[in-house]
Amino acid sequence: MSDAKLSQIERDTLATMSSTSWRYWLGLLTAIGLTALGGWAYWVMLHRGLGITGLNEPVMWGSLITTFVFFIGVSHSGTLVSAILFFTRSPLRAAIGRSAEGMTVIAILTAGLYPIIHIGRSWLFFFVLPYPSQRQLWPNFRSPLTWDVFAISSYVTVSSLFLYMGMIPDLALLSRRVGGWRRPLFKLLSLGFSGTDSEWCLFEKAYAIFAGVVLPLAVSVHSVVSWDFAMSVMPGWHSAIFAPYFVAGAIFSGIAMAIILLSGVRRGYSMQAYIKVDHFDLLAKLLLATSVIMTFVYATEFFMAFYRGSNAEAEVFRWRATGSYAWVFWLVVVCNSVVPLACFWSRVRRSLTAMLAIAVAVTIGMWFERFLFIVTTLAHNFDPQNWHNYSPTFLELCICLGGFGWFFMLFLLFIKVFPSMSIAETMQGQHASASTSTSEGVVHA
Amino acid sequence: MRDELVAVFAGPDEAHRALDALREQGIGGVRVASPAPFPVVHMTGQPGPWRALGWIALVGGLTGLGSAIALQVITSVHLGLVVGGKPIVAWTSFGVIMFELTMLFAGCFNLAAFALLSAIARRRVARAARDQVTCDRIALVVPLAGVEDEIRKAIRDSITAAALEVVP
Repeated sequence: MSDAKLSQIERDTLATMSSTSWRYWLGLLTAIGLTALGGWAYWVMLHRGLGITGLNEPVMWGSLITTFVFFIGVSHSGTLVSAILFFTRSPLRAAIGRSAEGMTVIAILTAGLYPIIHIGRSWLFFFVLPYPSQRQLWPNFRSPLTWDVFAISSYVTVSSLFLYMGMIPDLALLSRRVGGWRRPLFKLLSLGFSGTDSEWCLFEKAYAIFAGVVLPLAVSVHSVVSWDFAMSVMPGWHSAIFAPYFVAGAIFSGIAMAIILLSGVRRGYSMQAYIKVDHFDLLAKLLLATSVIMTFVYATEFFMAFYRGSNAEAEVFRWRATGSYAWVFWLVVVCNSVVPLACFWSRVRRSLTAMLAIAVAVTIGMWFERFLFIVTTLAHNFDPQNWHNYSPTFLELCICLGGFGWFFMLFLLFIKVFPSMSIAETMQGQHASASTSTSEGVVHA
Repeated sequence: MRDELVAVFAGPDEAHRALDALREQGIGGVRVASPAPFPVVHMTGQPGPWRALGWIALVGGLTGLGSAIALQVITSVHLGLVVGGKPIVAWTSFGVIMFELTMLFAGCFNLAAFALLSAIARRRVARAARDQVTCDRIALVVPLAGVEDEIRKAIRDSITAAALEVVP
């Protein structure tokens, strides 16, 4: 492999950092606009209180907690897919691993905002942190909500370190390639990595350990979020299947979001040579597999609700499919169970436009799925006298949209400051394939 | 005085061939100073500090586990409140936080160990070798201390590098 070739790889993979197209600015401005809209709505909520939302008694969790659960789900699959591809030594990882890991960290940072927003008096969120309060009371370690704080803070820390560790060789390279404020920053972040054999051995071993740590942590965090619901005795929530159901749903929504982000990077920065159709084909197969699992879980939930003989449980599920929120239920079924079936066809899997459309449908479907199971259980609980519907207000929806703006804004800034693909792995992969071709006697033009 | 031969190569393939040639001659202790971005000529087969990483991560995990147990048990006993009919020291409930902190500490220890051991490991490669290497070049560092002149000449002849230099 010639030096010129190596430089070309560097140029291509660094394109997201060095060139800025009008599409990027349009996307960033849109994201900033949505974030500002959400920020304004939140500011109004801080001044007027939670009364500006549609939350009521008994529906005390609504669209804000829906968005929290949704983004926790999105965060799930990035690290998971990246770590699995690492352990399987898949060559596909080089192009999508970094973006997926970045998506994870940004999604969980976004998700973490919503419980803080939802409590209304956000400045008191530290009450859940493990320290003795002025009343000499500690957080209740037997509560799933406290588990959530530990799970999410551990996950965001380890995911960030996993992302950072994978970037260390790239940062070492970039500290010699870039100028301006990035140069000292990258030099500092690269920890003096100089690429000797010992350092590479240490890096690979440490990275493998990190991947091994982050995998069970990723599974645990969404299981713990599911237990926020499942540990209660509410009809529709109190179910042993909730943890695997949430994990499967998280992977499902995360893959859809990864497809959206990767297609944007590929189109925006002409990365066709690296983010290939094969990547989308793989993600489409994963999307299809998780869609089938989700459909099975939906069916199982209904079957169990009617089979077990609990009137309250059966009524909640009957109402989900036929009551006030029936349109949400059928939207979820179409988006999550029907639309992804198109991925059975190879032509669909290998069509970027089709995959983008399916991913958007799944993203919408998964947000509404979270909304459906949260709201319908609370709105239609044990006591019929207590039944009350919920509709999010305009300001509440603005705060939710702001979360999406915040998410995309951070991602766009991330790929502007840091390389969106692993330069080291891309070079290594290309060198390996070139060596294989040479040893097999293949002559390249 | 280390007395090392530094052979600088234009690309990883040339360095790889030279490494194979040295191995065939039975020359051990060769180190590779291939700068980032990618590990092509790594794994020279030498023992290194990376074997300690797993143990350090394990120690980190156990520290996290101990911290989680201490935090929950001590504070719960100190508070002494019965919540939801559960015992004050409710091990089933405490399991989640124990798991989370075990993983968190294992990860943090792993990164810290990597940073520390890397700093130690890179000092073993002669500074002269590191200074010669650019992003597009790879250097092999062959220890020559105690090697006879005849073998030194054979080593030099077997390597076709862009630049060869013996550094103290």
